[in-house]
Amino acid sequence: MAQEVISTEAPPPAEAGPPTARRVSGRSALLLVMRNALPVGFAILIGLFVALGAPNFLTLPNFSDILRLSAPIMVVAIPMAFLLIMGHVDLSVGSTIALSAVVLGLLMRDWGLSPLLAVPLGALGIGVLIGVMNGTLVTRVGLSPIIVTLGTLTAIRGFAMWLAPFPVFGFPRDFVQIAYTGVFGIPYLVIGAAVVVAIGAFVLALSAAGRHVLAIGVNEEAAFLSGISVKRTILAGYIATAAMAGFAGAMYASLLNSAPAGSLGVGNELSILTAVLLGGVSFNGGRGTIRGVVLGVLFLAVLQNGLTLMNVPAAGAGIIQGLALVVAAGLDLATQKAESRVKGR
Amino acid sequence: MALVVRGLSKAYGAKRVLEGVDLEVEAGQIHALLGPNGSGKSTLIRCLSGAIVPDTGTMEVGGVEHHAFTPREAITAGTSVIYQNFSLVPNLTVADNVFLGDERRAGVQIDHAMQNKETERLLEQFGRSIRPRMLVSLLSVGDRQLVEIAKALHRQPKLLILDEPTAALGEQETKQLGKHLRGLRDAGLAILYVTHIIGEVFAIADRVTVLRDGHVVLTNDVSRVNPAQVIAAISPGSSPRTETDSRRRVADEGSVLDLDQVTVDGVGPLSLSLRTGEILSVFGLLGSGRTELVEGIYGRRRIESGQLRVRGRPYRATSPRAALRAGIVLVAGDRIRQSIFDKLSSIDNMLLPHFARLSRWFTRRTRTERLVFGDTAKRIRLQPDDPRVLAWALSGGNQQKLAVGRWLAALEHVDVLLLDEPTQGIDVGARRDLYELMRHLARDEGKAILFTSSDPEETLSLADRVLVLRRGQIVAELPREACTEQKILSIAHGAEITSSAVPSSSTA
Repeated sequence: MAQEVISTEAPPPAEAGPPTARRVSGRSALLLVMRNALPVGFAILIGLFVALGAPNFLTLPNFSDILRLSAPIMVVAIPMAFLLIMGHVDLSVGSTIALSAVVLGLLMRDWGLSPLLAVPLGALGIGVLIGVMNGTLVTRVGLSPIIVTLGTLTAIRGFAMWLAPFPVFGFPRDFVQIAYTGVFGIPYLVIGAAVVVAIGAFVLALSAAGRHVLAIGVNEEAAFLSGISVKRTILAGYIATAAMAGFAGAMYASLLNSAPAGSLGVGNELSILTAVLLGGVSFNGGRGTIRGVVLGVLFLAVLQNGLTLMNVPAAGAGIIQGLALVVAAGLDLATQKAESRVKGR
Repeated sequence: MALVVRGLSKAYGAKRVLEGVDLEVEAGQIHALLGPNGSGKSTLIRCLSGAIVPDTGTMEVGGVEHHAFTPREAITAGTSVIYQNFSLVPNLTVADNVFLGDERRAGVQIDHAMQNKETERLLEQFGRSIRPRMLVSLLSVGDRQLVEIAKALHRQPKLLILDEPTAALGEQETKQLGKHLRGLRDAGLAILYVTHIIGEVFAIADRVTVLRDGHVVLTNDVSRVNPAQVIAAISPGSSPRTETDSRRRVADEGSVLDLDQVTVDGVGPLSLSLRTGEILSVFGLLGSGRTELVEGIYGRRRIESGQLRVRGRPYRATSPRAALRAGIVLVAGDRIRQSIFDKLSSIDNMLLPHFARLSRWFTRRTRTERLVFGDTAKRIRLQPDDPRVLAWALSGGNQQKLAVGRWLAALEHVDVLLLDEPTQGIDVGARRDLYELMRHLARDEGKAILFTSSDPEETLSLADRVLVLRRGQIVAELPREACTEQKILSIAHGAEITSSAVPSSSTA
């Protein structure tokens, strides 16, 4: 029966004015804590490592290192945030990193291609192909993002190991140099990551596409009825994520001067997901900022760096990383709950 | 007496939904309960099923008096309710569904043999070929309804309540259901039959009660009343129309939108034509196919057959984007699910379809956006008109204004405005603003408007022309002058197969 009891929503307090995104955070202490948990946690983390006396932690070279080593994670985390905001996810990025690095390496070593050609063709090209595959399976065939990209995670890794059973190494000198040089003391990898961050921030905050992405995450049906190309936007998200995974593969190849198909990028999908969730992007879509993602990536990088400097064994670091993912998911849930409490629904 | 309700009252805050309702249903009787939307039918059923607790009054089932039920007590007392939305689990078998929550056991295992046998016995009386081991997902809607009834009968009720059981059924299945219900009645069951369709009352029921605004306004044996009396009880006299536009004119221009034998999701074939500056109302009850019609035109649902034309040119309704390119926009019927982005701001909600067009060098121009928003907010009388307010904080009426404003913000690209139940669940003030806006758009801006409604008063105060939709067919096409509330209501209810029902041609 169409009869409905019309719930009269409690009007917001007159003196506070109607709730806007900014005012909401002021109206719930819990939300306020949630929104600022990451910077605070960051400060505590750095303080902790300093207090525990991690050797060389508070030095300029160390921070330069942290930035350089987090660049590959950063360039994938940014487009991954767009996917998550739309309610999607790509778990295959770790394998995409490996395959693109392997193909890039083979193109340079065996085919003698110059890095200037091999990076766009090999690394980025492979990424785009994988993105089209993932995105098509999800948007056109209608399969679940988690299942599809879990499948391609395994398949792509297998393909990479079939192409190169042994690590590919012996790259051109110029290519290996890239990871260890820069301009004005800023490593090229950091500049690359900064460009990706800037583009991501621009698209999300200042372009029409950014509004479309948010709208799809909040209410896909309403976005579709508003004339947004929902499927095409989601497909673009998968392509951008996989292409940037290819870019990250090129960064790793240069950093390591080697492309081991079996081990490169293993588990990266989890660190990227952890960083993005820590940065306040919701796993259910509809919420997230680039600022948060950048902080999330750096937080994880500092954590890892500090643990390494203090000679914490790999097993211990693994435990802490895994816990970080659970904590990130907990933060996401708590934020959602706080939001719905403010809404009174 | 299987059911005696005395002085039942229920209020939600200041809104009184039921006021001193008396109702008696005898064993071996089919008692029809009618009333317009919001009359209190649902609330009454929910009191009987234990879903809510009434404020005052008593309910006597099988001779035992109760002030309130819990759902379990209601079942124990002998009341079984079959709701409109089927509660069957599609990927279980018929027998598993019938025994759901009441499984027969043999040791620790479910005794399937026993359950299947018992289910077969229950279904036997319907004389249909439903087998206990069939998956419910493979059954037709009509057969599911019967399984639903079998499930209720399995609990051996004294009183069976059906809430609009035929809303999803076709003509043939409705007849079948009526036959089976009469069979159950003759076996001594008391049946309370809630419906919108007056034709069914006279085909099936023994007694009828009409509820309006929480009061019983009519209760009598069906043999002692005629359809006109029942309709008059549901909708007394056409109320004086204060808002009728005396200067209404229908621009006598060519048609903007033509449908020729269009079928959508089993609705149709439908033919109609919509002219510039005209407000056309599609009047129909729940399940009449009104939503399928407008969503089909907008490309949200697949058109199965037939031709559409916009300004004489063939138009393929493949997606909302295609509709927008053709100048057709839709304000969808389910505001929360289909229109509003609750976590986004007013300005994002309004301008979402337009951000790309308002951008330059891929960059949004926030100042231009604010100007467009401010301008539109004024026209739709948005309250508050702060662009940053999040949509969930707005009243239903203001959310609906945003949904309409979304298309007003780019009016030059709009020729046809489709609205699906535009005023459902919104307050009187917002309703008046929307009416005014729709009139203005048609009269002064020359837009063609097609809106659906199940409110006869709204239909008559807005429409230039009324199409009455019933069970997916246009059963009448009437100019406004030829309409009264009773007339369109009775046609929509199927009580009157009138001479005024013209074949759905588009000549007018």
